[in-house]
Amino acid sequence: MIAEIGQYALILALVLALVQTVLPAWGARTGDATLMSVATPVAYILFLFVGSAFAALVALYLTSDFSVVNVVDNSHSRMPTIYKITSTWGNHEGSMLLWVLVLALFGALVALFGGNLPERLKANVLAVQGSIAVAFLLFILFTSNPFLRIVPPPAEGADLNPVLQDPGLAIHPPLLYLGYVGLSISFAFAMAALMEGRIDAAWARWVRPWTLAAWVFLTLGIAMGSYWAYYELGWGGWWFWDPVENASLMPWLSATALLHSAVVMEKRDALKVWTVLLAILSFSLSLIGTFLVRSGVLTSVHAFATDPARGVFILVILSVFVGGGLALFALRAGELKQGGLFAPVSREGALVLNNLFLTAATAAVFVGTLYPLALEAVTGDKITVGPPFFNLTFGGLMLPLVFAMPFGPLLAWKRGDLPGVAQRLMVAAGIAVVAAVVTAAAEDRGPVLAPVVLGIAVFVMLGALTDLAERAGVGRVSARVNLRRIVGLPRSAFGTALAHFGIGVCLIGIVCESSWSLEKIAAMRVGETITIGAHDLTLTRMENRTGPNFHARVAVFGIREGGVSQGEVVSGKRLFTARQMATTESGIRTFGFSQLYVAIGDETPDGQVSVRMTWKPLVTLIWLGTVVMAMGGLLSLADRRLRVGAPKPARRRVSPVPAE
Amino acid sequence: MTRKGRRLVLIAVALGVLGLAAGLVLTALNDTIVFFRTPTEVAERQVAVGQRLRLGGLVETGSLAKQGTSVRFVVTDGNGHVTVAYTGILPDLFREGQGVVAEGMLKPDGVFAADTVLAKHDERYMPREVADTLKKTGHWMEDAQNAKSPPAAPAAGALTQ
Amino acid sequence: MLSASLFAAFAFMTALAVMAVLWPLSRQKVARASGEADLAVYRDQIAELSRDAAAGRLPPEQAAAARVEVARRMLAAEGAASDVSLGSGRRRRIAAAVALVFIPLLGAGLYLRLGSPALPDMPLASRLAAPPDGTDVAILVRRVEDHLAANPGDGRGYELLAPVYLKLGRTDDAVRAYGQVIALLGATAERQAALGEALVVRNEGVVGTDAARAFQSALDLDPTMAKARYFLGLAAEQDGRRQDAATLWGQMVKEAPPNAPWLPMVRAALARITPPGVSSPAPGPSAQDMADAAALTQQQRGAMIQGMVDRLQDRLNADPKDLDGWLRLARAWHVLGDDGKARAALQSARTTFAGDAEAAVRIDAAANEIGGR
Repeated sequence: MIAEIGQYALILALVLALVQTVLPAWGARTGDATLMSVATPVAYILFLFVGSAFAALVALYLTSDFSVVNVVDNSHSRMPTIYKITSTWGNHEGSMLLWVLVLALFGALVALFGGNLPERLKANVLAVQGSIAVAFLLFILFTSNPFLRIVPPPAEGADLNPVLQDPGLAIHPPLLYLGYVGLSISFAFAMAALMEGRIDAAWARWVRPWTLAAWVFLTLGIAMGSYWAYYELGWGGWWFWDPVENASLMPWLSATALLHSAVVMEKRDALKVWTVLLAILSFSLSLIGTFLVRSGVLTSVHAFATDPARGVFILVILSVFVGGGLALFALRAGELKQGGLFAPVSREGALVLNNLFLTAATAAVFVGTLYPLALEAVTGDKITVGPPFFNLTFGGLMLPLVFAMPFGPLLAWKRGDLPGVAQRLMVAAGIAVVAAVVTAAAEDRGPVLAPVVLGIAVFVMLGALTDLAERAGVGRVSARVNLRRIVGLPRSAFGTALAHFGIGVCLIGIVCESSWSLEKIAAMRVGETITIGAHDLTLTRMENRTGPNFHARVAVFGIREGGVSQGEVVSGKRLFTARQMATTESGIRTFGFSQLYVAIGDETPDGQVSVRMTWKPLVTLIWLGTVVMAMGGLLSLADRRLRVGAPKPARRRVSPVPAE
Repeated sequence: MTRKGRRLVLIAVALGVLGLAAGLVLTALNDTIVFFRTPTEVAERQVAVGQRLRLGGLVETGSLAKQGTSVRFVVTDGNGHVTVAYTGILPDLFREGQGVVAEGMLKPDGVFAADTVLAKHDERYMPREVADTLKKTGHWMEDAQNAKSPPAAPAAGALTQ
Repeated sequence: MLSASLFAAFAFMTALAVMAVLWPLSRQKVARASGEADLAVYRDQIAELSRDAAAGRLPPEQAAAARVEVARRMLAAEGAASDVSLGSGRRRRIAAAVALVFIPLLGAGLYLRLGSPALPDMPLASRLAAPPDGTDVAILVRRVEDHLAANPGDGRGYELLAPVYLKLGRTDDAVRAYGQVIALLGATAERQAALGEALVVRNEGVVGTDAARAFQSALDLDPTMAKARYFLGLAAEQDGRRQDAATLWGQMVKEAPPNAPWLPMVRAALARITPPGVSSPAPGPSAQDMADAAALTQQQRGAMIQGMVDRLQDRLNADPKDLDGWLRLARAWHVLGDDGKARAALQSARTTFAGDAEAAVRIDAAANEIGGR
């Protein structure tokens, strides 16, 4: 009964999504307030139905109901409970259901917290959301139905792909989808504004918190995915420029640009057309990401769906929404009135520069990701565009952007004073140069550019602090006034500084890991010792372990530093019985911000095991930095200025953070 | 500055950034892309010694030889055979008779020195280039589970009737 | 059929969906001035400017300029006339009708296409807990597997399980199980032959070296083991040693007890490889058919043979000029225990080949064979 209720709930969700698309849009066209008001309750119930369908699927996984094909294909009755739950979305059908669940969640949140929006805007936004839901529900029901049954049911499932049997699966896809799909709200706002042909500074304020929330989740999702690949795949790499990773990076870059251009629009009523275009592009890139991942068109370590019917279906969805969005944009953009003026050297100018670099970087990643496909289609040549391409193009575009970053927040609106700003950044720049020189003197290995990049990273971090100090008037007024001003600063100011600071932190991690890692590969026997950097690793023993649905062979290493024992690190290989598939469990020990990474390979019959050990200096800063960035985003989101704008503020309660 | 002047500056900066981006992309595309080649193409000497490339095919059964952390194996597409030398840990899914992609360069003695070895990602996934090539050369085998299920179906059906 | 509780759940869900549309339609909506939302934002921007200016975070001249800009936006927003109305009754009625008709109809229609209302939930725990009644074969297998996981030395359990695996098409498991049986309970001719058979099925009908070895061990234990001899003959045929196959099978037929159930199968195989006579060679069952047949139960095997006989009958009815075919059919009916049909087949042959002396001799010989037993 659970399976059938799930199926029916999904069908009713499709029907309601159709209603949510048609009636409010009709109401908005005819100015009918009653029809427009249908959108709100329908969005709630739509979420309820998709939520029920999702809960039903989770229940089927929990009870190992092998009369459901999806459960048979991706589950095993002896899996730990957490993996039974996460395997719900660890497969194509389930992950698409999660996608729609997040979409419906955002629709319901707009309905709930959209009381401060003009009725027509809200109705149109929800109608656009509804149409996206229609497309994806059709896709699920007719090409990827998770509730299909099988008779007679087998007694055991085929197990979840062992690579996915990891707590990372519990967090990474939901976060990433909250980001991807959150951008659909910005898209819906852009479409609604274009339909009305009216867009102004208030629009930017309404759309910004949604973009910010999506950006925060996308940031965390990407960071989580990177850390997951780092420890689970056993290669020790944290970013592979894999098309699927690029698929999440492109919307992130575009959303970052959107966040910044929306600031200009909100404050100065300028860059309207550009902002609307970015909103459309960001979600389009999300959809392209979904297409790349779900259709399996690209060679990729992530591609686990390779059904051409699905690919074509998503391609149709993609062209309808991207094409429709851009067509409406082309039709209506001319009608949008241009707003405030600004000098090239100004806060606005800096934000425009930010946007230029970010979009150019997005385009570079886009070319690198799709060029192999295009070339193969045209000439039949198969090529790989690998890390060297992206390091050169993406790095080449991001470095000037990052270098310019500390200047932006210090420039005044309308007309800025560049020499003045440069003067205020002298301290930060001085310390950064010292850091670079000291590093270059201390490290004789690694690329020449590495200390320079390290210096830029330090400059960015100190630049963010300089921004806060300037706002507090440090050096100009008394310490007591400084403190009062700091306390009185809007949270979004801290948010900006924190996010920029996080980029510097992340950059330090990237430079140190990629320039000064130490690696050793050796065949070891029990009792042998290998020295890497300051650490001695001794293979103390090999042993067998048994998990619920796998057997493991693990190597235990004792770590000593300067003769003092530092505990153990355990690395192993797991053989999952149902799929007869092996995974590597890397052993990681953290020392400060650095990590020792150990992975083992095959064991020879005479007791030798191949071991790869890597010392990764400051590697954790990569992810800590992104977390700091996300914290900055959350802080901005908590700013009271983003919460106001309700017609009757007195009646409204203070609401949970990500919602408004 | 006049309104027109401001706009000109903006456009100039935009063109500058776009030019930088286009320049970087074109340079990188010239220098860093890696072609995919089959063992047949390598055997026919279509590949220059020292040029970086990806070699894909099946690991020939019985060809894997290990010595400490150095391994050698033969990649084949049914026609050509190329010996690959690699130092390091092979991926979990590396198996004889299975698809593999090795990245590296050909040495003068005809041995392919690989610095990266990728195996197919799971039971159902094979690097796209490898699958295409094998289909072309007629060595494509549907995945083992599928091949086995047809004879199973009638028996299972008969049993439950 | 739809169970009552499922129907109730569906009805409730449909009602909820319809109400989500009808409820807002029935409410009196108070239209708000359309500029109101924008004004709230701009008022807040003004307030913020004042706060920043007062705290000294914003120079006074910048604050003043910004305030002018915001004020201009406020004026524009106030000027925008509200064109949102309460809406017409006609539109509301259309919307309500759509909700009442469209939601249940489309929902039910799609469900009928996609759903399986007759299937109950089958969580694993309750399937394992249910009394074994033989309907859920997969669970029966699993029970034995669980038992074997706890008692890995129980060879009898594997012996029970192995043929079931084979029927379920889990050939790898079947081979492994037969291996366990032999390891735990010792080799017998039957077990070796069964292992060989499983190997053949796994190999899609081809008798590989591993299977041939198993059959040979079976013959070492019991030289009369029919199954092993048959498959070794098949191996010879597949290797292209037709003469060896013919010798092996010929010997089998010669030594066969009269009512051996496998006799027609071996005869058919023999006929397949014997050099063609007057008419075209009779297409016999393929190696695949035989391997499949070997994997079947006695009863299923009977059904399969019956099917082959029926096909032969049909073919001969359509094209009667095939003496070997008629003779084969007659023998087959005889073996299946239907001598009436066997005689009818011979009669048809006589009619078709009337005047052919050589044919008449062979038909008479066949008639004797049938009648003489």
